[in-house]
Amino acid sequence: MTPTLALWLSIFLNGLAQVLLKKGVGHSEERGGASRRWWLSLLRNVWVWAWGLSFVAATALWILALSKLDISYAFPLLSTSFILVAILSRLLLGEHLSRKRWIAIIVICLGVILIAAK
Amino acid sequence: MVAKNHIFEIADLAVFGAVVLAAVGHLMIKAGLVGAAAAASQPAILDRLLLYFSQPYVLLGLMIYGIGTAMWVLAVSKHDISYVFPISALNYVLVTLGGKFLFDELIPAKRWAGVAVVIVGVGLMQSSGREGKQ
Repeated sequence: MTPTLALWLSIFLNGLAQVLLKKGVGHSEERGGASRRWWLSLLRNVWVWAWGLSFVAATALWILALSKLDISYAFPLLSTSFILVAILSRLLLGEHLSRKRWIAIIVICLGVILIAAK
Repeated sequence: MVAKNHIFEIADLAVFGAVVLAAVGHLMIKAGLVGAAAAASQPAILDRLLLYFSQPYVLLGLMIYGIGTAMWVLAVSKHDISYVFPISALNYVLVTLGGKFLFDELIPAKRWAGVAVVIVGVGLMQSSGREGKQ
Protein backbone atom coordinates (compact mmCIF):
# COMPACT_ATOMS: atom_id res chain seq x y z
CA MET A 1 0.00 0.00 0.00
CA THR A 2 1.36 3.42 -0.91
CA PRO A 3 1.59 6.00 1.92
CA THR A 4 -0.85 8.30 0.12
CA LEU A 5 -3.45 5.54 -0.15
CA ALA A 6 -2.97 4.72 3.54
CA LEU A 7 -3.45 8.39 4.40
CA TRP A 8 -6.70 8.81 2.47
CA LEU A 9 -8.04 5.47 3.70
CA SER A 10 -7.25 6.59 7.24
CA ILE A 11 -9.07 9.90 6.77
CA PHE A 12 -12.08 8.13 5.25
CA LEU A 13 -12.29 5.52 8.02
CA ASN A 14 -11.88 8.21 10.67
CA GLY A 15 -14.90 10.07 9.30
CA LEU A 16 -16.91 6.92 8.71
CA ALA A 17 -16.24 5.87 12.32
CA GLN A 18 -18.06 8.96 13.63
CA VAL A 19 -21.11 8.27 11.48
CA LEU A 20 -21.12 4.61 12.59
CA LEU A 21 -21.01 5.73 16.22
CA LYS A 22 -23.95 8.06 15.66
CA LYS A 23 -25.86 5.25 13.94
CA GLY A 24 -25.19 3.08 17.00
CA VAL A 25 -26.13 5.50 19.78
CA GLY A 26 -29.07 7.12 18.03
CA HIS A 27 -30.81 10.06 19.66
CA SER A 28 -30.83 9.66 23.41
CA GLU A 29 -33.70 11.34 25.19
CA GLU A 30 -32.20 10.95 28.63
CA ARG A 31 -31.26 14.16 30.42
CA GLY A 32 -27.84 14.46 31.97
CA GLY A 33 -25.70 11.34 32.19
CA ALA A 34 -26.98 8.11 30.69
CA SER A 35 -27.99 5.10 32.75
CA ARG A 36 -25.79 2.10 33.38
CA ARG A 37 -28.16 0.00 31.30
CA TRP A 38 -27.64 2.33 28.35
CA TRP A 39 -23.86 2.04 28.56
CA LEU A 40 -24.03 -1.75 28.82
CA SER A 41 -26.36 -1.93 25.82
CA LEU A 42 -23.63 -0.27 23.74
CA LEU A 43 -21.43 -3.34 24.25
CA ARG A 44 -24.03 -5.41 22.35
CA ASN A 45 -24.41 -2.80 19.61
CA VAL A 46 -22.89 -3.85 16.28
CA TRP A 47 -22.57 -0.21 15.09
CA VAL A 48 -20.59 0.70 18.17
CA TRP A 49 -18.21 -2.21 17.48
CA ALA A 50 -17.91 -1.04 13.87
CA TRP A 51 -16.98 2.41 15.22
CA GLY A 52 -14.25 0.91 17.41
CA LEU A 53 -12.84 -1.22 14.58
CA SER A 54 -12.86 1.69 12.09
CA PHE A 55 -11.17 3.90 14.65
CA VAL A 56 -8.40 1.35 15.33
CA ALA A 57 -7.88 0.74 11.59
CA ALA A 58 -7.80 4.49 10.89
CA THR A 59 -5.22 5.03 13.63
CA ALA A 60 -3.00 2.18 12.36
CA LEU A 61 -3.18 3.51 8.78
CA TRP A 62 -2.43 7.04 10.02
CA ILE A 63 0.74 5.85 11.77
CA LEU A 64 1.70 3.86 8.67
CA ALA A 65 1.21 6.93 6.44
CA LEU A 66 3.04 9.27 8.81
CA SER A 67 6.08 7.00 8.90
CA LYS A 68 6.60 7.90 5.24
CA LEU A 69 4.92 11.31 4.73
CA ASP A 70 5.69 14.72 6.23
CA ILE A 71 3.26 15.65 8.99
CA SER A 72 2.96 19.15 7.51
CA TYR A 73 1.55 17.51 4.36
CA ALA A 74 -0.68 14.95 6.07
CA PHE A 75 -2.14 17.00 8.91
CA PRO A 76 -4.01 19.71 6.93
CA LEU A 77 -5.69 16.95 4.90
CA LEU A 78 -7.32 15.75 8.13
CA SER A 79 -9.65 18.73 7.88
CA THR A 80 -11.37 17.07 4.91
CA SER A 81 -12.87 14.64 7.44
CA PHE A 82 -15.20 17.43 8.65
CA ILE A 83 -16.65 17.76 5.14
CA LEU A 84 -16.76 13.98 4.77
CA VAL A 85 -18.71 13.53 8.01
CA ALA A 86 -21.15 16.24 6.91
CA ILE A 87 -21.79 14.45 3.58
CA LEU A 88 -21.99 10.97 5.13
CA SER A 89 -24.32 12.16 7.90
CA ARG A 90 -26.68 13.46 5.25
CA LEU A 91 -26.50 10.38 3.05
CA LEU A 92 -26.50 7.67 5.72
CA LEU A 93 -28.31 9.28 8.66
CA GLY A 94 -30.54 11.80 6.91
CA GLU A 95 -29.28 14.70 9.02
CA HIS A 96 -30.39 18.11 7.85
CA LEU A 97 -27.56 20.60 7.36
CA SER A 98 -28.63 24.22 7.32
CA ARG A 99 -26.63 26.75 5.34
CA LYS A 100 -25.34 28.18 8.60
CA ARG A 101 -24.00 24.78 9.60
CA TRP A 102 -22.20 24.34 6.25
CA ILE A 103 -20.60 27.75 6.68
CA ALA A 104 -19.47 26.83 10.20
CA ILE A 105 -17.97 23.55 8.92
CA ILE A 106 -16.05 25.34 6.16
CA VAL A 107 -14.75 28.02 8.57
CA ILE A 108 -13.57 25.29 10.97
CA CYS A 109 -11.82 23.47 8.09
CA LEU A 110 -10.00 26.66 7.10
CA GLY A 111 -8.92 27.19 10.71
CA VAL A 112 -7.57 23.64 10.99
CA ILE A 113 -5.66 24.07 7.71
CA LEU A 114 -4.11 27.29 9.07
CA ILE A 115 -3.15 25.61 12.34
CA ALA A 116 -1.64 22.64 10.58
CA ALA A 117 0.06 24.30 7.60
CA LYS A 118 3.75 25.00 7.75
CA MET B 1 -38.48 29.57 25.31
CA VAL B 2 -37.37 29.98 28.91
CA ALA B 3 -35.29 26.96 29.88
CA LYS B 4 -34.43 25.76 26.36
CA ASN B 5 -32.49 28.86 25.47
CA HIS B 6 -29.72 28.46 28.02
CA ILE B 7 -26.41 28.78 26.24
CA PHE B 8 -25.13 25.65 27.95
CA GLU B 9 -27.18 22.55 28.43
CA ILE B 10 -25.87 19.33 29.93
CA ALA B 11 -25.43 17.93 26.44
CA ASP B 12 -23.20 20.86 25.48
CA LEU B 13 -21.16 20.28 28.60
CA ALA B 14 -20.58 16.72 27.40
CA VAL B 15 -19.30 18.03 24.04
CA PHE B 16 -16.89 20.51 25.57
CA GLY B 17 -15.95 18.17 28.41
CA ALA B 18 -15.01 15.49 25.88
CA VAL B 19 -12.88 17.92 23.90
CA VAL B 20 -11.12 19.30 26.99
CA LEU B 21 -10.41 15.84 28.41
CA ALA B 22 -9.02 14.63 25.06
CA ALA B 23 -6.68 17.63 24.90
CA VAL B 24 -5.58 17.25 28.54
CA GLY B 25 -4.97 13.55 27.88
CA HIS B 26 -2.81 14.35 24.84
CA LEU B 27 -0.80 16.93 26.75
CA MET B 28 -0.22 14.57 29.69
CA ILE B 29 0.97 11.84 27.34
CA LYS B 30 3.34 14.36 25.80
CA ALA B 31 4.59 15.37 29.26
CA GLY B 32 5.22 11.69 30.04
CA LEU B 33 7.12 11.20 26.78
CA VAL B 34 9.27 14.25 27.46
CA GLY B 35 10.07 12.76 30.87
CA ALA B 36 11.12 9.54 29.19
CA ALA B 37 13.45 11.23 26.71
CA ALA B 38 16.14 8.67 27.51
CA ALA B 39 13.89 5.98 26.06
CA ALA B 40 14.42 7.36 22.57
CA SER B 41 17.95 5.99 22.65
CA GLN B 42 16.70 2.44 23.22
CA PRO B 43 17.40 0.50 20.04
CA ALA B 44 14.60 -2.08 20.36
CA ILE B 45 11.14 -0.70 19.70
CA LEU B 46 9.59 -2.98 22.33
CA ASP B 47 11.97 -1.71 25.03
CA ARG B 48 11.11 1.83 24.04
CA LEU B 49 7.36 1.21 24.22
CA LEU B 50 7.74 -0.50 27.61
CA LEU B 51 9.56 2.55 28.95
CA TYR B 52 6.93 4.90 27.58
CA PHE B 53 4.06 2.92 29.04
CA SER B 54 5.71 2.78 32.48
CA GLN B 55 5.60 6.58 32.73
CA PRO B 56 2.91 7.67 35.24
CA TYR B 57 1.95 10.69 33.10
CA VAL B 58 1.51 8.52 30.02
CA LEU B 59 -0.80 6.15 31.91
CA LEU B 60 -2.73 9.00 33.52
CA GLY B 61 -3.03 10.71 30.12
CA LEU B 62 -4.41 7.53 28.56
CA MET B 63 -6.93 7.21 31.39
CA ILE B 64 -8.13 10.78 30.96
CA TYR B 65 -8.30 10.25 27.21
CA GLY B 66 -10.48 7.19 27.87
CA ILE B 67 -12.89 9.15 30.07
CA GLY B 68 -12.99 11.81 27.34
CA THR B 69 -13.96 9.16 24.80
CA ALA B 70 -16.86 7.99 27.00
CA MET B 71 -18.03 11.58 27.29
CA TRP B 72 -17.77 11.88 23.51
CA VAL B 73 -20.09 8.88 23.10
CA LEU B 74 -22.58 10.59 25.40
CA ALA B 75 -22.31 13.85 23.46
CA VAL B 76 -22.82 12.09 20.11
CA SER B 77 -25.97 10.43 21.46
CA LYS B 78 -27.51 13.84 22.14
CA HIS B 79 -26.65 15.81 18.99
CA ASP B 80 -26.42 15.50 15.23
CA ILE B 81 -22.98 14.15 14.30
CA SER B 82 -22.69 16.91 11.68
CA TYR B 83 -22.98 19.37 14.59
CA VAL B 84 -20.79 17.75 17.20
CA PHE B 85 -17.88 16.40 15.13
CA PRO B 86 -16.63 19.77 13.78
CA ILE B 87 -16.62 21.14 17.35
CA SER B 88 -13.95 18.55 18.16
CA ALA B 89 -11.60 20.80 16.13
CA LEU B 90 -11.30 22.80 19.38
CA ASN B 91 -8.92 20.02 20.33
CA TYR B 92 -6.28 21.56 18.02
CA VAL B 93 -6.82 24.94 19.69
CA LEU B 94 -6.35 23.53 23.20
CA VAL B 95 -3.32 21.45 22.24
CA THR B 96 -1.76 24.51 20.57
CA LEU B 97 -2.31 26.54 23.75
CA GLY B 98 -0.87 23.69 25.83
CA GLY B 99 2.17 23.46 23.55
CA LYS B 100 2.77 27.16 24.01
CA PHE B 101 2.23 27.48 27.75
CA LEU B 102 3.28 24.06 29.05
CA PHE B 103 6.06 23.07 26.66
CA ASP B 104 7.29 26.51 25.53
CA GLU B 105 6.79 25.58 21.89
CA LEU B 106 7.14 28.36 19.37
CA ILE B 107 3.76 29.03 17.73
CA PRO B 108 3.96 30.89 14.38
CA ALA B 109 1.53 33.74 13.69
CA LYS B 110 -0.24 31.67 11.03
CA ARG B 111 -1.13 29.05 13.62
CA TRP B 112 -2.56 31.68 15.99
CA ALA B 113 -4.70 32.91 13.10
CA GLY B 114 -5.92 29.34 12.64
CA VAL B 115 -6.78 29.13 16.35
CA ALA B 116 -8.90 32.28 16.02
CA VAL B 117 -10.65 31.02 12.87
CA VAL B 118 -11.51 27.67 14.50
CA ILE B 119 -12.99 29.49 17.52
CA VAL B 120 -15.13 31.63 15.21
CA GLY B 121 -16.27 28.51 13.35
CA VAL B 122 -17.21 26.73 16.59
CA GLY B 123 -19.15 29.82 17.67
CA LEU B 124 -21.07 29.73 14.38
CA MET B 125 -21.70 26.02 14.88
CA GLN B 126 -23.02 26.62 18.39
CA SER B 127 -25.56 29.09 17.07
CA SER B 128 -26.62 26.62 14.36
CA GLY B 129 -26.95 23.91 16.97
CA ARG B 130 -30.53 24.42 18.08
CA GLU B 131 -31.99 24.21 14.58
CA GLY B 132 -30.79 20.69 13.86
CA LYS B 133 -31.96 19.33 17.17
CA GLN B 134 -34.62 16.67 17.05
